[in-house]
Amino acid sequence: MKLWKTFFNGIIVENPALRLVLGMCPLLAVTTSIQAGIGMGAAVIFVLLGSNLFISLIKKIVPGEVRIPIYIVVIATFVTMVQLFVKAFAPVLDKQLGIFIPLIVVNCVILARAEAFASKNKAVPSILDGLGMGLGFTLALVIVSSIREILGAGTFFGISLFGEAYKPLLIMILPPGGFMVLGFTIAAVNKLTEKKKS
Amino acid sequence: MRDYIRLAGTLAIVCIVAAALLGLTNIITADKIVEQTVKANTEARRAVFMAANSFDQIEFANEAAPLVAEVYEAKQDGSLIGYVFKSATKGYAGTVEIMVGIDMNGVVQGVKVGNNNETPGLGKKAEEAVFQQQFSGKLSSAQVAVVKNGTPKENEVVAIAGATITSKAVADGVNQAMAAFKQLAGK
Amino acid sequence: MKIIAILISAILVNNFVLSRFLGICPFLGVSKKVETALGMGLAVTFVMALASVMTWLVQVFILDMLNLGYLQTIAFILVIASLVQFVEMVIKKTSPTLYQALGVYLPLITTNCAVLGVTILNIQESYNLIETLINGVGAALGFTLAIVLFAGVRERLETAPIPKALQGFPIALITASLLSIAFLGFSGLSIFK
Repeated sequence: MKLWKTFFNGIIVENPALRLVLGMCPLLAVTTSIQAGIGMGAAVIFVLLGSNLFISLIKKIVPGEVRIPIYIVVIATFVTMVQLFVKAFAPVLDKQLGIFIPLIVVNCVILARAEAFASKNKAVPSILDGLGMGLGFTLALVIVSSIREILGAGTFFGISLFGEAYKPLLIMILPPGGFMVLGFTIAAVNKLTEKKKS
Repeated sequence: MRDYIRLAGTLAIVCIVAAALLGLTNIITADKIVEQTVKANTEARRAVFMAANSFDQIEFANEAAPLVAEVYEAKQDGSLIGYVFKSATKGYAGTVEIMVGIDMNGVVQGVKVGNNNETPGLGKKAEEAVFQQQFSGKLSSAQVAVVKNGTPKENEVVAIAGATITSKAVADGVNQAMAAFKQLAGK
Repeated sequence: MKIIAILISAILVNNFVLSRFLGICPFLGVSKKVETALGMGLAVTFVMALASVMTWLVQVFILDMLNLGYLQTIAFILVIASLVQFVEMVIKKTSPTLYQALGVYLPLITTNCAVLGVTILNIQESYNLIETLINGVGAALGFTLAIVLFAGVRERLETAPIPKALQGFPIALITASLLSIAFLGFSGLSIFK
């Protein structure tokens, strides 16, 4: 029962992107197409799973004073692994995500989970936490990228939705659209959760 | 003092494990990455020169075509049938890479727009086949010009709506390739 | 000529925050007051210039020479993390006033993706050492410009009546969106054709 809670915590209650407002850079930069959004999500899930598991396993032997550098090394290792595998097996995704793959290292979500959860919990909950948080982050990526791709390009997964007659709202796939869609998405989430409380 | 050794030791062990893991990943992926790069490059060249099946890079530096960055001999079963040029011209936002294939008779075989930072929905449309196909069949004897609308003449192409600068950048790239071709073919 | 073009491009045309989406966390987090925004901007400028040069040296003289290109990410983040720590210690010892002004921002810079971002971009664009330094400084100045402008707007927002759901981050992001539209005007700006 408690394990389920850990898992769902990251997806809804403490959604890292929409509730805690962490890891904004990729959420704005790679959400011009749904495909790129999902690719980014998958990469983040892998890194989160790996770093959470690894850090929960070594938490007893890590001296408190140097824990942050050690976490960074662990995270950077998993990120580089993703980077190399994506380059080797999914070159299209590599081109879409570009510099934002190595930048997963400095995605605050991952370091935050390492510090706040994995360093205090056993392996199994840590895996579930990583999976939940990763899925939560992916959910945010998918929501933002769907809105931007549908409005900004008139397509969904690259398939044309409205035919030739639709003049895409270009601004949505340009940088300002990213800020705007994310702003309104978070506002919508705020509104929904606010209602629940009262 | 013992504390320092313990701290440094743990850090060192973590780093060694990390390096070992990455070394292993690198061994698995390195060949594959090289293969992918080669494949992507060959495909990009084949896209502008369907008839050729192998490409060899040659040295080229000429004042007549300063923006041509790379030149490849396009070969069909070992015999030279034309050239592929990669030029980098200035678009609306930064440089635009353009691949151009020209056969021995000076006929443009194909044009492909590569890396660029043009505006999505406007300049980015240069990547679409409709625009690029206009260049196929153009002769290297006359420079390609860009017209905004209407029916293009022999050596003209119609610009992308709202992206004249990008269209001109692509035409520039093609013209540079043609100039380089003239030098190479001695025509 | 190329140097000026790089500088202008990094500050205005390809502004790190508003068109490349790098360094969003501090941009949103430390922009409630113009004064703190300026402090953050200065600290980032300092670290970014140093980090650009250091990582370039690491790339050219260590990674490239030993054919260890695949360790780039891990090497760069370690360089940046230790650099930030080092700068913090030096400033603390030498200039307590500067430490008071910048100290609180320094630890935050390690996880500022603009810093890691600029160092990787320098290598990708195959800049030489001087171009690298200029690009680093330009990117940081662009960051400072964006965050200070943004803080100026947010100070006014404090007193504005805003619907409850939009308060905090949402309205900040929408403001950033408008600012980003303004910066779109710089794209296509060409100085030396």
